[in-house]
Amino acid sequence: MFCIAAFIVLVVMAAFSARYRRYVGTAWNCAWRRVTFRPCDTTFKQDIKDHLLAPIAARRPGLVRPAGITLEILAVLVILTTIWSGYTVVKSAVNLYVYGTCNKQDSASCTLGAEACSIPDETPGFVESIASFDVLGAFGNEFASLGETFAAIPARFQTWRAEDYLPANASYLTEDAANPTALEVIDPGCTFCRALFLNIEESGFESDYNLTYIAYPINGTDGYKFPNSLLVTQYLEALRLHPLEGAETPVDWQILSRIFTEKAETGLPWQDTINAMTAVETTATLTDWLGEFGLSDEQIDVVVAETGSDAVTEVIAANKAIVEDDIDTIKIPTIIFDGRRHDGLVSVDGLQ
Amino acid sequence: MKRSTLFSRAVDAPPSAGRPDDFAYLEPGEIYLDAACQSLRPQPVIDALIDYYTTYNACGGRVKYAWGQKVDARVADTRKAVLNLLGLSAKQYAVSFTLNTTYGLNLLLQQLPQGRFGRIVTSSIEHNSVFLPTITAARRLGVERLVLVRAADGALLYDAGQLERAVVVVNVASNVDGRQLTNLAQLVSDTHARGGIVILDAAQAMGHSRALLQKTDADAVCFSAHKMYGASLGVVVARHELLSSLDLGFVGGGMVQDVREEDFDLVQGDPGALLEPGLQAWGEIIALGRAIDWLGTVRPGGQAPARHLAGLSTRLFDGLAEIPGLSLLNHEPSPVISLYAPRQDSHRLAVFLSHSKVSVRSGYFCAHHYLKQQLGLPPLLRFSLGLHSTASDIDTATQALARLMKGLS
Repeated sequence: MFCIAAFIVLVVMAAFSARYRRYVGTAWNCAWRRVTFRPCDTTFKQDIKDHLLAPIAARRPGLVRPAGITLEILAVLVILTTIWSGYTVVKSAVNLYVYGTCNKQDSASCTLGAEACSIPDETPGFVESIASFDVLGAFGNEFASLGETFAAIPARFQTWRAEDYLPANASYLTEDAANPTALEVIDPGCTFCRALFLNIEESGFESDYNLTYIAYPINGTDGYKFPNSLLVTQYLEALRLHPLEGAETPVDWQILSRIFTEKAETGLPWQDTINAMTAVETTATLTDWLGEFGLSDEQIDVVVAETGSDAVTEVIAANKAIVEDDIDTIKIPTIIFDGRRHDGLVSVDGLQ
Repeated sequence: MKRSTLFSRAVDAPPSAGRPDDFAYLEPGEIYLDAACQSLRPQPVIDALIDYYTTYNACGGRVKYAWGQKVDARVADTRKAVLNLLGLSAKQYAVSFTLNTTYGLNLLLQQLPQGRFGRIVTSSIEHNSVFLPTITAARRLGVERLVLVRAADGALLYDAGQLERAVVVVNVASNVDGRQLTNLAQLVSDTHARGGIVILDAAQAMGHSRALLQKTDADAVCFSAHKMYGASLGVVVARHELLSSLDLGFVGGGMVQDVREEDFDLVQGDPGALLEPGLQAWGEIIALGRAIDWLGTVRPGGQAPARHLAGLSTRLFDGLAEIPGLSLLNHEPSPVISLYAPRQDSHRLAVFLSHSKVSVRSGYFCAHHYLKQQLGLPPLLRFSLGLHSTASDIDTATQALARLMKGLS
């Protein structure tokens, strides 16, 4: 163990100082013999240990034995942490490739991937499981997650077609039979979905694609990540079930546009305002907007009544299944166009 | 009653008390106890070497210009000094310079003529410089090799018949425990009486135990200048007859008088040159001459070197013997003392002592057969004294070791 740990430490130190490079060859020879279950044929291990312990021996010889034991324990820890680090690097790299985030459990925390609101993984993490003494569960969940990631690798090679994942009653920001379809998965409360909407607007993306969406309220630890996302989604789906005839832009898109691009009287963006509202306030606001966007009182009553219907509930559940099982993304927004799935915020250049 | 030095405070005298001024360059606190490997060089020897390199740095050997002639003169002086040191005559013996003792022994053993000798005799306590070339020489000559035992007093134990046409190769002083070849004169006499020759490894003897070698009748004496306060250099003092009888296979410039397409004539009247192919280490040879001068004049602590070292050896032996948990190989004081701690790794002890600026050697000291195979010992620790050593050095070293042994037990 000590040989291997010494090799690991020396490799790191040799990267910064030539002084240690001459030891790396010897250390490698020793470490290689150890990992191939053969005894080390040099005194390297003893030499390193003795030199480390010599300052202690000169002052307090009695502490040499406990210090030696401590060194052995440290060596084990160095090896374990190195193995764990290596595993984490590989896992993160694969996650980054497959999901666009190095941290599958909290995708937003990975700075290497595109900015996004993460869909939290409900499965307890490794450390969490270990802390609750669930060792089997810790390793089981870890490897199940890794297996899931590897199983998803082929999906990155496939050609993504938005048409394959369209929700029921899809509504389009613009429609042109000559344009291909694009599909975005959004949460009305997610700030990166707002940013994506602004990028779409700036890039003129809607002129090149028939853009539709799946509204996906992200689950939180207690309810939803953004408290009014479900309510807004219910309104959006109700409006899709009862589209306003003759509207130039579907009313559900007008609502999204207002949430993402306009500001309330307070000067705050509507998205932030709605995220801070109560359900009653949100309902009242959305109902008011329906009138503004041209719905009659009767039509408003129908839409409002529909928001709580089984039909809307079923559509939202079906959309959730598309996002989680078919698209299998863990980042919101996700947008499918140009044969690819783009996880997280896409820049104006990327959209162009 | 002997005074215990274990755990005692260092002597009041300054640490360098008793140390010749010629070692004044030694940093305070540095305690070098590996003189059996290589002695520290006194300042005059260092000066002689520097003087050569900076004022007449030339080749010797049939040179016509002044620097070269000065080199030749100094080298000749060194050859004379070596013979004088051993009380030998240039009429019978020649001095050759080479790399070290091992090299000198090999030059002789690997060039012995075929058919003249019936066996090779050596002893079990030999350094690899003797042990290994006697193996290969016996193979080359196609003769048996006898490995005899040395008595506790260092005498070689033999039956006279074992010396029949023998090449006897033994050390004069052991590099493990310092024991000396006390029956050297008798051994040489018995060997010669039976048509054999005696080649001596005097590496450990030349520094501090030359008395046995005075006017020796041995056929060759090999030693190292670097173990007797000279620069790194090997020396072979050999009888003219032995040198002339060698079946030379190692030849080169400096050995020949004339060269033809298919043959050559060896140099005449300079048998020592037969072991000196190629350019010599002129500066080192000259420095050896200075070291021999120095050995004749130095009086550490106002005493003769042998007496001074005897006192220090006793102090070291007593100090080490008092430390619990140590097993000493020596039965009596010697400038070379080897020991081991059954429960401690000697290499580790050497590293730990080094951190306290005490330099001692650990391992098998190139006597693997004797220590590892025959005695079955773990790696050992060796303390070896030189004329730079002081009582304070010894006390500090033994106290450091005692403290380690106590703390580690």
